[in-house]
Amino acid sequence: MTTFLNILFNSLETGSVYALAALGIVLIFRTSRTTNFAQGTIGTFMAFIAAFAMMKLGYNIWVVTIVALLAAFLTGVIIDTIIIRPASKAGAVSKQIITLGIIMVLTDLQTFIFGVDTQTLDRYIPSQYSMSIFGATLQYNTLLIIVVSSLLMIGLFYFIQKTRWGLATRVTAVDETTSKLMGVPTKRITMISWATAAMLGTLAAIFVAPRVTVRSDMLVSVQVSAFFAGTLGGFSTFYGPVIGAYIIALLKNVTSFYISTEWGDVIVYLIILLFLYFKPYGLFGKKPDKKV
Amino acid sequence: MNKKRQSMITSIREGVKALRHPGAFLKQHPRMMYIVFGLLYMVIAYLPHFGLIEFGTMGVFAYIAIYSIVALGLNLLLGFSGLISLSTAGFMGAGALGTGVLIQQGLPFELAAAIAVITAGAIGALIGLFSLKVEGIYLAIATLFVGEILHKIYTQVAIFGGDAIRIGAIKVFGLRELSQISQIDRTYLFILIVAILVLMMIVMHNIVHSKTGRALLAMSRSEHAAQAMGISILRYRLTAFVTATMFAATAGVAYALYFQSVTTAQWTLSASLFIIAMVVVGGYKSIYGTLLGVFIIHGIPELIIKDYLGDVSYIFSGILIIIVIIFYPNGFVYIWYDLKGWMYKVNVKQKIKNLFTKEPTNRGDSQ
Repeated sequence: MTTFLNILFNSLETGSVYALAALGIVLIFRTSRTTNFAQGTIGTFMAFIAAFAMMKLGYNIWVVTIVALLAAFLTGVIIDTIIIRPASKAGAVSKQIITLGIIMVLTDLQTFIFGVDTQTLDRYIPSQYSMSIFGATLQYNTLLIIVVSSLLMIGLFYFIQKTRWGLATRVTAVDETTSKLMGVPTKRITMISWATAAMLGTLAAIFVAPRVTVRSDMLVSVQVSAFFAGTLGGFSTFYGPVIGAYIIALLKNVTSFYISTEWGDVIVYLIILLFLYFKPYGLFGKKPDKKV
Repeated sequence: MNKKRQSMITSIREGVKALRHPGAFLKQHPRMMYIVFGLLYMVIAYLPHFGLIEFGTMGVFAYIAIYSIVALGLNLLLGFSGLISLSTAGFMGAGALGTGVLIQQGLPFELAAAIAVITAGAIGALIGLFSLKVEGIYLAIATLFVGEILHKIYTQVAIFGGDAIRIGAIKVFGLRELSQISQIDRTYLFILIVAILVLMMIVMHNIVHSKTGRALLAMSRSEHAAQAMGISILRYRLTAFVTATMFAATAGVAYALYFQSVTTAQWTLSASLFIIAMVVVGGYKSIYGTLLGVFIIHGIPELIIKDYLGDVSYIFSGILIIIVIIFYPNGFVYIWYDLKGWMYKVNVKQKIKNLFTKEPTNRGDSQ
């Protein structure tokens, strides 16, 4: 019971990180029709900015988070305006490769500005504050991450489902050309989507930073897991990838604890591949209508 | 008897014609063009001995040849069939590491290479079967799963040596041991991998200009229409995936042959993305375009940008990728058509100008 609870808390924390990243990926996939491979790199870059603000300028973690989120918002807007929008004529794969170009530029810019040394970020609540539930320890920081990301995602879903701008996002996701004809400001929607996705990636990076330190490959596994979460949950809904993220985190922790530390991930991947064979559009995905 | 003589005479005549007009001959025989290209490329192998380039630069050209092989295979998948694979680097690793391990087990090089390539092809066939069910981004990420699993196997299984496999000198065709350390041997190795590249270019040309190539093209435009014309989706999807993975594994074999030491951790998602970038930037459906793409993505940063800018060279290659895609969404090789069109426009404008600026008295004179 104790170990299982420990695993559960751990999975909820990593699941939240995966879910934030996956939500950013699906947001861009739906509005810009491209798989954003740069999601992790943007988050990492912002984590470096945060670490810089903390170590050199001496702000505390809360202020640092706000600084990083503002920077992420700006980066998202800039990327959409000067790169993604001019390339709207390019095909799906070409757009994916553009995000590879963004990765190269950001990674090098990051080493150029901040160097290659690893940096550290503090937890929001230091790790000595924790409570015990049935013998399992739950750090308040973990609890905070779980609660904040759940609230954030619930808020985002409410926004997407209930507000005017949310409606605009949904129709842009379904058919951009028609939406444009109907008077939806699709350009602004894609811009806000990129900004939001960058902010979500940044939050994921700052949440994961105290565990793995701030370094250039800190989000690689998070990003890959977020892609997998997207396929597991299905890219045709916004909530599917989020649920997929929690499932993957739980499966990964369970298999690596009970079966094998090295091969746990491989087992999870094989299970999901098998699952995809029988349900090719994910848990909540619908088969898209295709013209013949 | 007479017939034989006749054919001999015609072939000699053709040979003479080819010598007198080599350009026209090569245009008619594209396969010869690949061989000529290969021979020109092989010249690079001798340049370091005369001190014209460094041996390291020759390594960059070797890389370009190796990447060209894998990018050609991927172009068949991406350009001709419209399918995407994110595990290309994984299969390249299968070729390189598989060859290395099998050689260390005592097999001769050729057998080891063949086994590695065929194994990769078999996994490719499995992905092809999988692709009948799963589509679009789901298929792309399914191949990413395969890539991650392969990467995990390479880094975790002890047989791959943990960090790297050091193969050492390779005995080629049972004739001679070639070692990366010796400079003259390195020249021979370079020639060998260029020969493999030329062979793969010709294979690619044959596939593209056959029934298979046309079927793949039809499939990429509209699967349903292709099916209605009697094209078996299963068969050609399998062909595309198996060919692409076998090309990738062959590139891996060439890598093992030239560098003779293979690290286990380098076959990642970002390596696969780089290979996709080569195809996208160079040009879909074009063999020379693919080579151009490899040169832009790998050659220009390594040969030119790095010398001038040092550490920040990646920024410029990233910007280069973005700019090329924004202006040439179908690949940089299509700049040729733009140039032609532009020249044509200039010519036509000139002719029209001439027509109107000619003085009427001239016309009277000629009459």
